Amino acid sequence: MRGFRAALTLLAMMLGATPLHADGRLKVVASFSILADFVRNVGGDRVDVTSLVGDNGDVHVYAPAPQDAKTIADAQLVVINGLGLEGWLPRLLQSSGSKAAVVIASKGVDPLKLGSEADPHAWQSVANAEIYVANIRDALMQADAADTDYFRQNAQRYLAELDALDREVRDDVAKIPPERRKVISTHRAFGYFEKAYGIAFIAPLGVSTETEPSARDVAAIIAQVRKDKIPAVFLENISDDRLVRRIAEETGATLGGTLFSDSLTGEKGLAPTYIAMVRHNIKALTSALGP
Amino acid sequence: MSIHDALVAPFLDFEFMRRALAAVIALSLAGAPIGVFLMLRRMSLVGDAMAHAILPGAAIGFLLSGLNLFAMTTGGLIAGFTVAILAGLVSRTTGLKEDASLATFYLASLALGVSIVSLKGSNIDLLHVLFGNILAMDDQTLLVIAANATITLIVLAVIYRPLVIESVDPLFLRTVSRAGAPAHLIFLALVVINLVNGFQALGTLLAVGLMILPAGIARFWSRDITGLICIAVVSALMSGYAGLVLSFQTRLPSGPAIILVAAGLYMASVLFGSVGGLVRQLFPGRHLEA
Amino acid sequence: MPAQITFRDVTLGYDRHPAVHHLSGEVVSGALLAVIGPNGAGKSTLFRGLVGILKPLSGTVTLAGLGVRDIAYLPQIAEIDRSFPISVFDFVGTGLWRVTGIFGGIGKGSRERIAQALASVGLTGFENRGIGTLSGGQMQRMLFARVLLQDSPLIVLDEPFNAIDAKTIDDLLALTKRWHREGRTVIAALHDMDLVRANFPDTLLLAREPVAWGATAEVLTAESLAEARRMCEAFDDSAHACAETSRQSRAA
Repeated sequence: MRGFRAALTLLAMMLGATPLHADGRLKVVASFSILADFVRNVGGDRVDVTSLVGDNGDVHVYAPAPQDAKTIADAQLVVINGLGLEGWLPRLLQSSGSKAAVVIASKGVDPLKLGSEADPHAWQSVANAEIYVANIRDALMQADAADTDYFRQNAQRYLAELDALDREVRDDVAKIPPERRKVISTHRAFGYFEKAYGIAFIAPLGVSTETEPSARDVAAIIAQVRKDKIPAVFLENISDDRLVRRIAEETGATLGGTLFSDSLTGEKGLAPTYIAMVRHNIKALTSALGP
Repeated sequence: MSIHDALVAPFLDFEFMRRALAAVIALSLAGAPIGVFLMLRRMSLVGDAMAHAILPGAAIGFLLSGLNLFAMTTGGLIAGFTVAILAGLVSRTTGLKEDASLATFYLASLALGVSIVSLKGSNIDLLHVLFGNILAMDDQTLLVIAANATITLIVLAVIYRPLVIESVDPLFLRTVSRAGAPAHLIFLALVVINLVNGFQALGTLLAVGLMILPAGIARFWSRDITGLICIAVVSALMSGYAGLVLSFQTRLPSGPAIILVAAGLYMASVLFGSVGGLVRQLFPGRHLEA
Repeated sequence: MPAQITFRDVTLGYDRHPAVHHLSGEVVSGALLAVIGPNGAGKSTLFRGLVGILKPLSGTVTLAGLGVRDIAYLPQIAEIDRSFPISVFDFVGTGLWRVTGIFGGIGKGSRERIAQALASVGLTGFENRGIGTLSGGQMQRMLFARVLLQDSPLIVLDEPFNAIDAKTIDDLLALTKRWHREGRTVIAALHDMDLVRANFPDTLLLAREPVAWGATAEVLTAESLAEARRMCEAFDDSAHACAETSRQSRAA
């Protein structure tokens, strides 16, 4: 499979050789903002990255526009998350008729389960993010052989930053008393974070933004918060937060602010890059849960 | 489990249940009478139309203030009023009937809303964010619903007579008074307010459902408009209460649970209702002397 | 006698096609006027213009000293939603609009008046019946009861005796003549020539254009009636804009 894909990429490269050299930069399309951030960090100024789902967008329920098909058709490389995150993507790829190479950033990640399906939010663990970056680096090197060393250096530097970030998160979590390492959140997007760093995320709603809770579910959450003395409740930046606030009020838990999970926020927001996002999240957690 | 545990305890133990019940009461008092008039005027599908018509207003509110529920609700109200009033005016001044007129305007509004959202680029499902949940009643939302109910009841009382006459014999009203058109437009405004606030607080299913279903239920138990309104309100209250209990004891989501109870009452009414119920039709009993 | 209604070269119609074409004349206060004509002659259209529901395409209709609440209009039954859940009593009670307005309560005095009105039309005992359960004749009686309660100086009846039994017609005709005796102006669109000859002193023979207008005996002649029958019913899609700006009516 790998060999076949490499051959395909080579073929695509040869076919697309002229535009590549005419423009100078590799055209890459990422499915959403977090992946785009990774690509920028590895590709530097040798790549021209577009993100299909923009800042503050919801990648689960994105509905592609005709413009997106065109963007993909013009690209040399498409970076997707996989693990079932982008249900809308296969048809888009097909209808765009693009000859771009496709790389699944989560390849090699040990997937967790969410209900009966895979949990797609693998990037929440920084170690997984490093796997993503490695996959992206390899794909970029294949797509643009001329800049191999450039990509490798960037990736090395960025991976070092991610290592430091990982250590930072672990240190911060260590400062939280063990019995307080649990929070309520609306979005079941932190499974990987939970597994990697040991903070339990309890959610009243399902993964997507579509499901509606029963009164029994809400009562159960409230009972659990009271019983387990869960200290904090967190909101999410893309859905209605009133239910979470209600739970916080009725249980006396702290309202911890917003955690960012599925998208970056753009320049002016609190989470303009992946590293900033993770830092923001862990700071929000420690300030709500700290001793 | 005792009756008390099943029916009363959930409301004693959990504040969110008490708030949900309060919201149901307010919604029943205001929404059910409006639903009766909607049904009588053959506007039962206006709720769905309105749910889509408010999109451009919510979109503009979002563009101006981000995910601010107040801004989006206000925008939604403005869009809803515009659509309702334009549709009302067109149907009164031209030959086009109410339903066709409303359909054209809400579709235009929806298209405008989708365009605005697409141009901006963000794909957040605005309507999904805007539509709330009965289990999440905070102080502000409860206040809005309560104020809503109060205003609705007062205004309905004021326009009651012209509204009734206008529904049964509009020509007569036009010849004796100029109150017909304003009454109609005020009624439409009430519909919009109740729907938009209902969406924002409770979601589309509940907001529309507790208007229309109780009216349908009442139709099988009363031949008089006052009776219709009373039975509709009672049905709505019963559905709300039972639905919340059901959602608490099983895993049914709250909104659908309430509507399912209402639908069950409706089926029972279709079968056993004293006015036109199927059983009555099949087994009418001996005819009377005179 | 003072003129209560003045038609000045009135043309009424739909989509620029005239249904009533160049009507001029006066109705004096207290008149009892029958409007006769073949189907499509414009009788209902004329009444809609008179009552203010339809705006004239040209010309004017002037009502001396009458406001919008002073006219009692009895349209053809089709306009009423018979499936609406309202009782005969409440429906008839809306005739008291002039007295109650939007807010006024229906007190004991009003309730008695409603009961009396129902008695006058022979509908005692029907108070709690839904309006959808009435026969054609009973419906007409109910509408007459409402007109009674409206207590208006001008009463306009559009084909009030269509498709109802003879007894009902007699009763309602008696009511109509009582109104005339009370000094009210009554205008009625009718089809039954004999009834008109026997009861109505004035007649307007309308066949889109006024054919004759005046005392009944002079209007309902064989030649006038023949002329009226010659009128074409359908609108002419290829008709040009009407060149005449005013025309004298042949009637008095």
